[in-house]
Amino acid sequence: MILTQNLCKRYGKMAAVQDMNLSIAPGTVFGLVGENGAGKTTALSMLATLSTPTSGRAYIHGFEVTREPRAVRRCIGYMPDAFGVYDDLTVMEYLRFFADCYRVDRRLVKPRADDLLERVRLTDKRDTYVNALSRGMQQRLEIARCLMHDPAVLILDEPSSGLDPKSRLEMRAVLHGLRDMGKTVLISTHILNELAEVADEVGILRRGELVAVAAVQVMVQHSSAYRTIHIDGRFAAGELERALASDRRVVDVHAAASGWDVLYAGTLAQQADLLTALVEQGMAITQFSEQPTDIEQLFLRLSAIQEGM
Amino acid sequence: MQLRINPLLAKEFHQRMRTARAPIVITSYVFGMSVLTFFLLYENVQGQLYLVQPTKSQQVFVLLSLLQMTVVAFLAPAFAAGSVSGERERKTLAVLLTTPVSPIGILLGKVLSSSALLVLLVVVTLPVYSLVFLFGGAVPQEVVSVLAFQLVTIVVIATICVLFSTIALRSTWSTVFSYGTVGLMMVVFGALGYGLKGLYEQNPIDLFTLSWSHFFYALNPLYVEAALEGAVSAKPTIWVTFVEFYAVVIVILLVPSLWRLRPQWFSWLPFWSRSTEKQYQ
Repeated sequence: MILTQNLCKRYGKMAAVQDMNLSIAPGTVFGLVGENGAGKTTALSMLATLSTPTSGRAYIHGFEVTREPRAVRRCIGYMPDAFGVYDDLTVMEYLRFFADCYRVDRRLVKPRADDLLERVRLTDKRDTYVNALSRGMQQRLEIARCLMHDPAVLILDEPSSGLDPKSRLEMRAVLHGLRDMGKTVLISTHILNELAEVADEVGILRRGELVAVAAVQVMVQHSSAYRTIHIDGRFAAGELERALASDRRVVDVHAAASGWDVLYAGTLAQQADLLTALVEQGMAITQFSEQPTDIEQLFLRLSAIQEGM
Repeated sequence: MQLRINPLLAKEFHQRMRTARAPIVITSYVFGMSVLTFFLLYENVQGQLYLVQPTKSQQVFVLLSLLQMTVVAFLAPAFAAGSVSGERERKTLAVLLTTPVSPIGILLGKVLSSSALLVLLVVVTLPVYSLVFLFGGAVPQEVVSVLAFQLVTIVVIATICVLFSTIALRSTWSTVFSYGTVGLMMVVFGALGYGLKGLYEQNPIDLFTLSWSHFFYALNPLYVEAALEGAVSAKPTIWVTFVEFYAVVIVILLVPSLWRLRPQWFSWLPFWSRSTEKQYQ
């Protein structure tokens, strides 16, 4: 459904996206994760036909984005990262306008708009002016707008950005709904945890390169199997690494802002044993605490370890 | 098959006409024109309405139509100069460009929607012109040709303004360029035509100066309209030069406008490079 082959976008000497190879099966919700400036928006704008790849190919629903852009536009719903709305229209008029842009059969417009407003929980706002909606409501309206022509593929660039926690939850529920509709969805975000409940697969983009792709379930399993322990104390790095080398459950040790973060594949009881072992070896430990595991970091580190092997 | 009008035209017309502003503008304009017409006609017959003076009535018609042309010419940028740049500033352009509406469709919708209210202004003043008929002086063909020329001028100015608003990226700049162009059309070209004609009158063998004078006059909507009314002497085809010149200007401006909206369309050009392609949404 979405396929990219060595997709590249360069701006002069700077590579915004390089050699992106992606294959997203129909009906899959795929999350593209990366920090700001990683190339997510550039990649998505190429797929949305707004910019031309410097090299490589991208296919959406079987249509090549540079050769058949008109066909691609008909089968995608695109929600940009920074979007605006037409203030002087009501919610219903807004949806009707985009239905007209896509030449949706007029008889279908009202029932479809009603259905979509229900899905995005805006039924009671159908006659409200768009500028009177909150940011969260406008973002949900954008999702409905993307669906007005019943596209096979949705490309959503940071759909939850700038939302408060309550609106994020509402947006997550809407994204869940998309999954139930059987749409192929490509969502970009800089927070991987946000996608854990929604996406089937996740790709991690770093400095324009797609460094890892995996099923969300695999990631979640990893995150529950691994713990990040923060250790600090009066000893040298080499000393700690030597002390930890005897424990097979220690996967990775790397320096943090102060102290070290240890990736540990063990239970809470085994974690306590590790602390005891370190103290018994005479290590002057001042801090030994479990930190919340960032799935993205965990995944990247595991990938790096794997590559090293 | 369903008959569809351009979605942008439908949307913007809907947006503009739903507020009280549009009826107020139209009513005030018609009221103002009516009062002025009545005053001019009354003044011409010196308060004695049974006095029919077709020549003076003709002058009223010329005055009214030139006034109307000036008003609509200077109103056109107000509606059109921010049309595409406004979409860009509101961040709605990118979404619009991912719909099947082509850049030409977007520009066409913007031109038509910007012109629509002005066309309506011209059309609603038809009854005012009928007052002039009452006193003679203007024949129906003249009125029709003048109105048709006003409509053409509205569309020409609106098109140029929409294209500037696509090229200039910012509404401030497109407004400056648009009013600059209207000033050029309405004032500078007329002044150039007048100045060159003055030079020719000092040196009547200089036909080159005369031909340039005619050319600049032909680019001035007020002069062309006056010529259509027979108020000034000019070739009957003077409006053709007007249309041809501004058609060329529009085609020239269309190229960078399309470049701004869909740079990919120019990928066949030898100097076009994908790595230097920019997004202007």
